[in-house]
Amino acid sequence: MEYLAAENERSVMDKLGILTDAAKYDVACTSSGVERKGNGSSIGNCVAAGICHSFSSDGRCIALLKILLTNECIYDCKYCQNRCSNDIPRATFTPDEVCTLTMEFYRRNYIEGLFLSSGILNSPSFTMELIYRTVWLLRNKYRFNGYVHVKAIPGADPELIHKTGFLADRMSVNLELPTAEGLRELAPNKHRKTILTPMRQIQSGIEANKNELVLYRNAPRFVAGGQSTQLIIGATPESDYQIVSVAESLYQKFALKRVFYSAFVNVTGDRALPALPGGPPLLREHRLYQADWLLRFYGFKGEELLDESRPYFNVMLDPKEDWAVRHLEQFPVEINRAPMEMLLRVPGVGVKSARRIVAARRSCNLTFADLKKIGVVLKRALYFVTCNGRMMYPVKLDEDYIVRNLTEVKERVQFGSDGMSYRQMSLFDDGNFSRPLTAAEQFQTAVGQL
Amino acid sequence: MTVYRCEDSLESIFTAIYLSYEENREAKDTFLSLNEDPILFAEDVPVKPDQEKTLKVMRTLKRRFGEEDYLTVCMALATPDEDKAQAVYRTVVRGLDERYARGHLFDNLTDDNIMKAFSLARYADREIGHLKQFVRFQELENGVLFSRIGPKCNAITFIMPHFADRLPIENFVIYDEKRGIFGVHPAGKQWYLLSGEEVEEPRLNLSKEEKQYQELFRHFCKTIAIKERRNLKLQRNMAPLRFREYMVEFG
Repeated sequence: MEYLAAENERSVMDKLGILTDAAKYDVACTSSGVERKGNGSSIGNCVAAGICHSFSSDGRCIALLKILLTNECIYDCKYCQNRCSNDIPRATFTPDEVCTLTMEFYRRNYIEGLFLSSGILNSPSFTMELIYRTVWLLRNKYRFNGYVHVKAIPGADPELIHKTGFLADRMSVNLELPTAEGLRELAPNKHRKTILTPMRQIQSGIEANKNELVLYRNAPRFVAGGQSTQLIIGATPESDYQIVSVAESLYQKFALKRVFYSAFVNVTGDRALPALPGGPPLLREHRLYQADWLLRFYGFKGEELLDESRPYFNVMLDPKEDWAVRHLEQFPVEINRAPMEMLLRVPGVGVKSARRIVAARRSCNLTFADLKKIGVVLKRALYFVTCNGRMMYPVKLDEDYIVRNLTEVKERVQFGSDGMSYRQMSLFDDGNFSRPLTAAEQFQTAVGQL
Repeated sequence: MTVYRCEDSLESIFTAIYLSYEENREAKDTFLSLNEDPILFAEDVPVKPDQEKTLKVMRTLKRRFGEEDYLTVCMALATPDEDKAQAVYRTVVRGLDERYARGHLFDNLTDDNIMKAFSLARYADREIGHLKQFVRFQELENGVLFSRIGPKCNAITFIMPHFADRLPIENFVIYDEKRGIFGVHPAGKQWYLLSGEEVEEPRLNLSKEEKQYQELFRHFCKTIAIKERRNLKLQRNMAPLRFREYMVEFG
């Protein structure tokens, strides 16, 4: 009881500080996926594209009031700041405090909605009920009509998760570590199966709700913005290939809206975790996001980007360039005739510019000047496209040549120093033969110490 | 050769477009100008904004090119560019001549004028998007939410519907301090714009809690940053400096 008395003295400001700090390593701060008009009698609407309201000094967006309900936790996951063996100040919001903060921030246009997660207090079901009660209050008493993202707590009563789903726009269950072994090692209280169960439940809930909406237009919507998850990158020695395959199967088998990647930051200093003297593996995270977009919007498959013999992304080239230089037999692509699917595979052409190209070439033949105006990044695209049968400059379709030009001068010096090269081996090579990666090197790449 | 001298307003430019058709002008010899720079051997025609003609042009644009492309045209005209009237005029003429279908007015981006109008609209659209993100309301003593903006484009008409839909039960005011325009939304009623000479710089008495919530939000923004990932350049890219003077967390 002493502990509770101490807690009562905390001001909202202190609690907000503690519980924001505890929630900040969760990356899912999007407010997208739902289009909902205001209803005229309550506060809030949702915009499908999502709106970010501010940007913190790490450049990440602040779209939602991202907080934990409590940072007290009975679990002892080694990577987590809130693990029960960590000696940090603990705090718990009351549901009303969360609701008032959300409403007042929302009115002032500070945020787009609420992101509510929680440490595990007492038991998963108890925590889930607290979350449900908070969101219920927010929706019904405070009449909030904006975006709400809540966590489904693995191991909680399915009924509670189901009921929460009707109040939330997006739900997420964090997979955290891509493989079951990693999870067993770092999060002894979590099991892959208990994580995947609520994920499957939400997926089938969304599907059932879709069928219901066909029949009854005004039926309540279940998790309209879909569900997402998060993978921690670089805490365990998984390869990029493994991570991409996990993400791909999550998209296919669990119909996830988003998989987020979070470069590992060592906050607990546990000895089972890698020390990261070079900072979090941000480049690796970036490459994974690039690949993620290729999977979702560009029609790529995971095994096209990486395979077992090349389990890591190229550091110098983005995944699309990397794919293109390895498949030069499919290039150059004629801009005025190529199908949309092929345009999307050209480095420097994005989804929007591909759409514009297809619309514009109906009325006339496109030239390179037009491509520039349309928004194609010619710096990258010029090696791979022709306009009316001509390339922009006389360019050799040669792997080595293109790679040299795509990577900038200052980067070119480093390139090849680690034995990675695109050059065909010849008799006169200086003996810089490539060898398979050792286990130690693989681990280093995985945790971003390149 | 004819030059229509317009004011910098939607009404004036649409009236000029109407006049050019009414007077049967040859499109390639006709110019719409927002300034008084003389053009050699040209006949100057001053344009008096006319509501009826404006409405007719609006109706035609909506009917022929659809609601979305009509909005794109309006956005292009909200930018501070000097040559916007000319680009929009040529775009509309080409669209009408060549019978572009609804939603396809801006497809032919190889045409310089269409491209120009399109990129102007895109510029305005981006700024409107930024405003939807970065508008910050302050609560006054009487419960009214007040916000000050200073955008480059005349964007207030485009952001008012968004906030009216979002905060229907609030009284709020958005003040464009560059143009002296107020967007006013009384709770539960239709919003409207106020401008003219009678409006003066408002004096603000903030409510009691306002300072607390500003402080809370500042604290929130500070805490949520991960210091290992510090990246001020990215932050500047995403939240341009010119918006920050109006934002509480950067104040």
